[in-house]
Amino acid sequence: MKLTVKPLKQKDAGRGLAAIDRAAMDELELENGDYIVLEGKQNSRAVARVWPGYPEDQGKGIVRIDGQLRQEAGVGIDDNVGVEKADVNPATSVTVALPQNLRVRGNVGPMIRNNLSGQAVTKGQTVPVSFGLGPLSSMSGQKIPLKIAETDPSGTVVVTDSTEIEVSEKPAEQIRGGEGSAGASDTPDVTYEDIGGLDNELEQVREMIELPMRHPELFQQLGIEPPKGVLLHGPPGTGKTLMAKAVANEIDAYFTTISGPEIMSKYYGESEEQLREVFDEASENSPAIVFIDEIDSIAPKRGETQGDVERRVVAQLLSLMDGLEERGQVIVIGATNRVDAIDPALRRGGRFDREIEIGVPDKEGRKEILQVHTRGMPLSEEINIENYAENTHGFVGADLASLTKESAMNALRRIRPELDLESDEIDAEVLERLEISHEDFREAMKGIEPSALREVFVEVPDVTWDSVGGLEDTKERLRETIQWPLEYEAVFESMDLEAAKGVLLYGPPGTGKTLLAKAVANEAQSNFISVKGPELLNKFVGESEKGVREVFSKARENAPTVVFFDEIDSIATERGGGTTDSGVGERVVSQLLTELDGIEDMENVVVVATTNRPDLIDDALLRPGRLDRHVHVPVPDEDARRAIFQVHTRNKPLADGVDLDGLANRTDGYVGADIEAVAREASMAATREFINSVDPEEIGDSVSNVRVTMDHFEHALEEVGPSVTEDTRERYDEIEQRFERAEPGVSEDTGASRTFQ
Amino acid sequence: MTSEQQLFDETPLRRFEYDDTVVLAADVGPATDATVDVVDGTVIVVADGKQYEQEIPAGDARAFIKHGVVTIELSAPEEDH
Repeated sequence: MKLTVKPLKQKDAGRGLAAIDRAAMDELELENGDYIVLEGKQNSRAVARVWPGYPEDQGKGIVRIDGQLRQEAGVGIDDNVGVEKADVNPATSVTVALPQNLRVRGNVGPMIRNNLSGQAVTKGQTVPVSFGLGPLSSMSGQKIPLKIAETDPSGTVVVTDSTEIEVSEKPAEQIRGGEGSAGASDTPDVTYEDIGGLDNELEQVREMIELPMRHPELFQQLGIEPPKGVLLHGPPGTGKTLMAKAVANEIDAYFTTISGPEIMSKYYGESEEQLREVFDEASENSPAIVFIDEIDSIAPKRGETQGDVERRVVAQLLSLMDGLEERGQVIVIGATNRVDAIDPALRRGGRFDREIEIGVPDKEGRKEILQVHTRGMPLSEEINIENYAENTHGFVGADLASLTKESAMNALRRIRPELDLESDEIDAEVLERLEISHEDFREAMKGIEPSALREVFVEVPDVTWDSVGGLEDTKERLRETIQWPLEYEAVFESMDLEAAKGVLLYGPPGTGKTLLAKAVANEAQSNFISVKGPELLNKFVGESEKGVREVFSKARENAPTVVFFDEIDSIATERGGGTTDSGVGERVVSQLLTELDGIEDMENVVVVATTNRPDLIDDALLRPGRLDRHVHVPVPDEDARRAIFQVHTRNKPLADGVDLDGLANRTDGYVGADIEAVAREASMAATREFINSVDPEEIGDSVSNVRVTMDHFEHALEEVGPSVTEDTRERYDEIEQRFERAEPGVSEDTGASRTFQ
Repeated sequence: MTSEQQLFDETPLRRFEYDDTVVLAADVGPATDATVDVVDGTVIVVADGKQYEQEIPAGDARAFIKHGVVTIELSAPEEDH
């Protein structure tokens, strides 16, 4: 029976499964788990186990197999493949050949049997076997290709636990079995299943490239020219080159690449000639794909380039792609991460017909990518890919790849002491014990920053809500604004509630505004971008605003993100005042306003700003829809002060007589920072007393006896005075009242969300 | 095929929702010596000497294992859960 080949979902790939739609399964009288033989072009055969068909395929005559099987059967996506039930005999013995450069000591037979057990193999077939970790020899990748040299009985056999495995004397390279499907080719070895989280984009690319190549008649019928070029763009590491590689591999087309710097020559006219040569060669071998990686390097905007050569190369490229001469069935794929730097003449129909953005993957995408990368890894049982997908906001494919690689290296490091690097071979048993644990992943996670955020990435501080004493109300408000929309997305959706875009924390100096922001960063499970106001200012006209724009575009790309502006009054002062700085300040404010509530949506980006001069901030910034929550971080009252004392004395050795309640009572007007200073001063006094009174040699022994007593606190209270006067407090209370009156909408808003606790 | 549960450890239990039935499938690897049984709304899979249980909704269920592919067929499409 002939079925149409489609790709398998990433999570099912790599296990030799073939998902067959149910109608076809009934017709073939197959059950899940049955062995089938797939017969493709030139009598290539592959063996697979039946997996339930995807519901969306029902009745369409579809078989879904992964790239490995497609290669074995010599078919591509949308090709027809013959499927029939396989008669599989248990093997009594199988002879396998190992690759030449694999050096393993000991009897690998049982290991290979374990790996192959249950798999159906035929003579001449190459089976990838995972030997623990891959990079133990010069081989790259995680699987080692074994060649089946001989089977007994002949035909398709299944390896069982009682099958004898023999290792052939001859290395795999010397055995030419069957059709020798592993013919040398320079097309890359990437299949569609190796790309995670880019299903839509991949579909678009295939539609542009595969369809015209396979069925040009479709386009003739429609009377249109098939598309000729695709431009892939997106942040670095998101998979542009990988996608081009996969397409080249899956389509039976001539594939050639142009690397920008390589075609440049010092001789006049030679650079263009090299370009022409590449295209000539491609059209001779058509259908062909020309892949131009980092196209911005050879096709910058002509008006902006300095050199004559670049301009001529761009012109040449333009005419090659859509000139008088037909270029035939040559498709150009360009990849760049600076799409705006490309000459606009290239970005029109007929040249690059379509531009496909490859973005930073979302959670589902990250999960698929992790599945791809961990496919051949011996993961320990406690590992849950989903968790990692959740905790890796802003990671692109390349980051995730290095995350898995680093964790594998960590696992390797664990067994390294047992390895004898001097000897030529590695014990097979040690290999088998290699396993990647949760700990390895956690360790690796620490070392990898999301590359899309690298410039603005800050290490998330280790401050939790617990480290913030008092301020319960404020904490709750912040949690509502920042954590809830992410955690209870469904609730917000059903209440038709839009998440707040920003929070302004204001209050006297030292009351803990920055500390709260730090806690938010830590607790929100989001990316965190910290902006220091003055940092944005630049001496060139327009650059300061650009800084603001860039911060927000980074934030959007890596959502969910918390953008934190400390001391926002420095960059968002009231407009229309005396302009002494040629209006930079005003333009920055305007930019900030449009970013916060502009045409572009702020999907999952929350701004947290702090200030102690809320009266100086431009009014437009404070209206609902921008910084719509105004949270007063007040001077702590007695209860709050006690909580703050507790936080700051939590790890200090206090004497029994220390009365925190009494201290809280006596420190009216002290803010968080003052209380911290009191605690520090007190323990400093205790330390001073101790060090002066004890013999330096005995310090080590008696240090555990030191206690901070009430006397020390008394002393500290004398040293540290309250930093907030009654006047200041009144001023802030006034401001608070003014804010509440000025924005009735806001208080209503908070009221509404309070009711739904 | 809307949700995915773990059958045991790292083996995902995939869920395929057809018009008339729901099929749960898991691949424990062809080498694993495994058996599967349905008892009172619980699927019991014994693989490599370990036993795993998975609650399934009430109703007729049929389970079988072939070359490491565990299949559980639920006759009636169940309610959301």
